[in-house]
Amino acid sequence: MPPLNYFVVESPEEVGRKAYERVAGDVLQDLDLIKVIDRLHIYVDPKIPIFIAAGVLHHMPRTIRVGDFANVNRGDTRIVLDIGDETYLAPLLRVLWEIYGKENVEQPDRFTVILPAGMAGEEDLEQVVVADPGETLHKDVIYAMQYLAPEGFKVRRQYIRGERFYYVASEDTLPGDVVERMVMPLFERMGVTL
Amino acid sequence: MTTLVPVTYKGGVYRHDEIMDLIDDLGGYVVQKHVMAQDVVLQSFVPREDINLIRAVAKPLAGQVTEAPLVGTEIAVVSPSLEIHHLPHTSCDIAEYLRRSGAKTNMVGLARGFGKRIANLNDEERDVINEHDLAVYMLGNFEECIQHKFPVLRRGIHVPIVVTGAPDRETLMRIIDPPVEGYVGGIGRIMHRFKRPEELAKLDELVDEVSRVLDARRDVLAKDPLSVFPPRLMTIIEEEIPEVNFLTHPTPVTVQMEGLRVKLPYDSYAPEIRSLEVAEGVTVGDVAEVKPSRMRNYILIRVKPFSETRILV
Repeated sequence: MPPLNYFVVESPEEVGRKAYERVAGDVLQDLDLIKVIDRLHIYVDPKIPIFIAAGVLHHMPRTIRVGDFANVNRGDTRIVLDIGDETYLAPLLRVLWEIYGKENVEQPDRFTVILPAGMAGEEDLEQVVVADPGETLHKDVIYAMQYLAPEGFKVRRQYIRGERFYYVASEDTLPGDVVERMVMPLFERMGVTL
Repeated sequence: MTTLVPVTYKGGVYRHDEIMDLIDDLGGYVVQKHVMAQDVVLQSFVPREDINLIRAVAKPLAGQVTEAPLVGTEIAVVSPSLEIHHLPHTSCDIAEYLRRSGAKTNMVGLARGFGKRIANLNDEERDVINEHDLAVYMLGNFEECIQHKFPVLRRGIHVPIVVTGAPDRETLMRIIDPPVEGYVGGIGRIMHRFKRPEELAKLDELVDEVSRVLDARRDVLAKDPLSVFPPRLMTIIEEEIPEVNFLTHPTPVTVQMEGLRVKLPYDSYAPEIRSLEVAEGVTVGDVAEVKPSRMRNYILIRVKPFSETRILV
């Protein structure tokens, strides 16, 4: 596994710690998250029992807007969108149908979309948000943590906002102050505050 | 008396029926036949002194005869669950490796086998595991968890158990009380395919451990032999009940060390099987117990020992 900027696995059991280091490496590699996560600290103690993963992501990808992948050519009676990259075409059409109505969105070929001119809000067409890759990324990161944690640890608390995330799991009820007591110190060791 | 030894024959489809006939003529049994595209794998029992003869016949056909210690055994590979945490690696890799050594493996994914405190084994799982010759328990990375949960997972299991886990063999032996029949350390929760030499070496170690445990069981059986050799009973069932040959299961009649699993519905076929004649005047019902299996609606046949029936066919 190519190293993250900070990757520590802690556990009172040395054998389990080493095994978890490999498990974490495999999971992050499988889910293609190595380039996404910048710092990760895992603490597992089967005696308590508790599993904590705290980490920091690299800069989140920004939202994708119409202007990022299409040229907007305004005419007198119609607006022609010239699509440069098809990746976000499906969500774009869904957004346009919502704004203009399905019957007004014409698509004569794969790379062209024609809209009627003179409707409200068309001056901001380039700025319309089509997709947010960060949203699926958050889901992927939480999925990776679920996948990583011991399966029996079903009681969990998860958090992901901006670039920081944590995932705490246990098979017993989690104490109310678990975040303050156990998660925050891990963030401090990574040099960030929650 | 000739000793039958378990071997695997690997060769091409072309003229493999000659090998099957030869094994039959020598008094051996083919317990499993796999045809994969151009290749054939026969798991069989053959007389020890005739192995070289089979090798000689197989040579022009480019067939290979190798010893396969696990032929004629059905092994349960017990995984704490069938979730992504345990599948496909470890569970499938271990099951497949045991299969290559000739065993018929069934994967038993427990409904609630995960966790330390919450791990559980229900009666159906217990009975299904007990229908096998041996159970391989695949446990995880932490000594603490294994020590805590294993007593629950083994409750009511009376077949030999081999435990695997990430802690080394000595640690496993220390924390498991009362002791089980076999231990293999260094295989815990592994999230990638077993491919490194040290990982494959662990699988070999597991096969050796399983063979050792089963050999010990065979030695015990030899002291009070079974009334009929299960592969022989298999041949009789296959000949007398033609429906078996129409089943699509990979092994419609599965040979175990002390019996058979017949994948036909119990209610409709059990009386017929009981009345089958094994030898003159001796029926299956005389030498074996024909019971419903907990696995679907299959039939489980348990061959009784000589001491009980006073019959040796």
